Amino acid sequence: MNAKQIYLDYNATTSTDQRVLEVMLPYFTEVYGNASSVNHTYGWDAEEAVTIAREHIAELVNVKPTEITFTSGATEAINIALMGYCKANQHRGNHMITCVTEHKAVLDTCEHLEQLGFKVTYLPVDPSGKIQLESLKSAITERTILATFMYANNETGVIHPMKEISEITSSHDVVLMTDATQALGKIPVNLKEIGVDIATFSSHKIYGPKGVGALYLSGHLKGDVLPILFGGGQERGLRPGTLNVPGIVGMGTACEIISTDLTGDSLRLKALQTILENELLTIEGLAINGANSPRIPNTTNFSIEGVDGSRLVRTLKNLAISQGSACTSSVLQPSHVLKSMGMSDDLALSSLRISTGRFTLEEEITEAVLEIKKAVELLKVTA
Amino acid sequence: MRELESIISAYELATANNLQCTLATVVHVEGSSYRKAGARMLVDENGVMTGAISGGCLEGDALNKALHALHQNQNKLITYDTSDEHDAIIGAQLGCNGIIQVLFEPIDQNKNGNPIALLKKLVDSKTKKVVVTMFNLNKRLEQKGTQLIFDQNLMTTQQLADHGLLTQIRTDAEKVLKYEFPHFGEYIKAGSKQHAFLELYTPPPTLVLVGAGNDAQVLSNMAAILGWDIIVTDGRHTHADANRFMSSCQVIVTRPDQFLRNVNIDDRTVFVLISHNYNYDLAVLKLLLDFPEIPYIGILGPKKKFHRMLDDLGTEGIELSADQLKKIHSPVGLNLGAETPAEIALSILSEIQAVLSNTNGQPLKDKDGAIHEKKHYQFKVTSL
Repeated sequence: MNAKQIYLDYNATTSTDQRVLEVMLPYFTEVYGNASSVNHTYGWDAEEAVTIAREHIAELVNVKPTEITFTSGATEAINIALMGYCKANQHRGNHMITCVTEHKAVLDTCEHLEQLGFKVTYLPVDPSGKIQLESLKSAITERTILATFMYANNETGVIHPMKEISEITSSHDVVLMTDATQALGKIPVNLKEIGVDIATFSSHKIYGPKGVGALYLSGHLKGDVLPILFGGGQERGLRPGTLNVPGIVGMGTACEIISTDLTGDSLRLKALQTILENELLTIEGLAINGANSPRIPNTTNFSIEGVDGSRLVRTLKNLAISQGSACTSSVLQPSHVLKSMGMSDDLALSSLRISTGRFTLEEEITEAVLEIKKAVELLKVTA
Repeated sequence: MRELESIISAYELATANNLQCTLATVVHVEGSSYRKAGARMLVDENGVMTGAISGGCLEGDALNKALHALHQNQNKLITYDTSDEHDAIIGAQLGCNGIIQVLFEPIDQNKNGNPIALLKKLVDSKTKKVVVTMFNLNKRLEQKGTQLIFDQNLMTTQQLADHGLLTQIRTDAEKVLKYEFPHFGEYIKAGSKQHAFLELYTPPPTLVLVGAGNDAQVLSNMAAILGWDIIVTDGRHTHADANRFMSSCQVIVTRPDQFLRNVNIDDRTVFVLISHNYNYDLAVLKLLLDFPEIPYIGILGPKKKFHRMLDDLGTEGIELSADQLKKIHSPVGLNLGAETPAEIALSILSEIQAVLSNTNGQPLKDKDGAIHEKKHYQFKVTSL
């Protein structure tokens, strides 16, 4: 096991880009002030760095800097948004709508809200991972206060039609939230154009450091989200706690880098995806999950009839790839995403996810395909 | 004293005490704010502030930003967004609804043409000028700051490295002088943007008080607060006594036909005839009719008095034109129910302010739309 594995799990996390790291480093040892210290230059320098980072993020998703709140990650952002919005608006209604393929950060928060008395409708998906817009329309009631749909799925890469969804929710005066964690940096995310009211982001999926995320709350929701943490009043009281300045600087720089060449990156990843999938599809019994839906260009989720996914992953010693998502795979259960797309437990367990990124080389894809083909042959013989 | 003058004297005091200063300038406002583009504030290194960039809600944070700019010795553009009214910095929730761009410039006193030196040129001048402050809405780029002053002939003693840009800015400065509106330019060259705020500087008006009685004394004191230049004239030594007026007033004791030789009359020179002497007022009015550039002549006294003046002028063969009648305000002042000399002074100064700014003096609550006209605050984009 001396050879370094080929990393094909960018949806789980990315490395911190060297350029990001270099911008971050002084904020650990030299510019270490507390961004809330208003009486000295250390504090001013830190606060200025946070302001610039906030502008970089706002610019990338086309919102105003004042609409961005820094958090410890997308999970915290999702918790603040869902809990905080529902708490503040329970007088208007107690119903929300989401989708069965959401990330656990959303599903588990929804479950908690159900325990608090909220009603949640989980829209189903078809075998390609799509929701039916008609079912969204009919799920909306007078008690519906919020709908939340992930921009792109972390396991299959399937993209929800956010613009169409937003047209429906806004015409019913329902606030729309999107977890854009997997979409950011892979496809253009223009929140103002789509008409989303709340969005969540993570730094470590876009070549920034772990432990940072951001929450977008549209200006018109002022006062419509109550804090769930209490403390020093940072981030307009919505996310108190000393700001993680190096992390925030890193996330801002990561966004700045994406802004410079998102189209080029997307096209390169799309080209790799085409090569990968064309090769994979030559394997007998292999199917790309969500193939008939619009997908982000870096994610390929596939199942192979009659092959045990766990054994396949263990055989692919040179590849760092995942069975399902990183968050749920510590306990091996068939993916809730794939099952909701109509797959059997066995087939869901036979699925693997390859997710590429900024540093993936074409020869790594070629090598991965060869490895997978070899392993499948081996497993089919020994099965 | 006007804001610019107090800023310059505060700067001079600070430098005399070896204190460094930062100048903060509102360079653009989108939406509504208490202070418009052109509002300025000086902050010295001890945090003493002179002037104001807002109604008080931004000053606290602006103080830190000014000191930070001083510490880094670098111009900085800071955006204050009150349009969602949920900004913790602003917090006061004054009901402002705007995005305010403030430029912070640490002043290098050894540099010729530093922003304060340029502003000093302005206040020393008695003519209209255009001040050009250059900035960039992309805060990571260089913020050039207060750069140029154009005079009425569009001449400038400063230079820009980019001649094409200078030519375009000069063209825009011409419009500022002509239409008397500020100009916000976005100049695009090879894909990169440069923003500039072209501000019309109008010198303070000159208020000429004909008559140096007690009411003139009150009137001149109030005009001094407005920062106006004041000339007081009277034929009576006992009244036109410099000791009775603020030191900034020019006091002339002379006959009516002579004092005008001492007054430089232009379209910012306004007259109030307040001598309480019918013949003196009439003699002055007759002289003033020869100056079409005078925008305002106020005559104290009832309408009956003014009609008598017109009759007396008529018998001399002088008929007033419509333009002349339009700029004569008699009885003088706005209808504010003024009784005391101070109240009357307020009513007169309000009327002059309205006339000079070409407005009608109505209550703002009766005015349709925003207090400040919005269309003038949009960036005009030019590709170079």
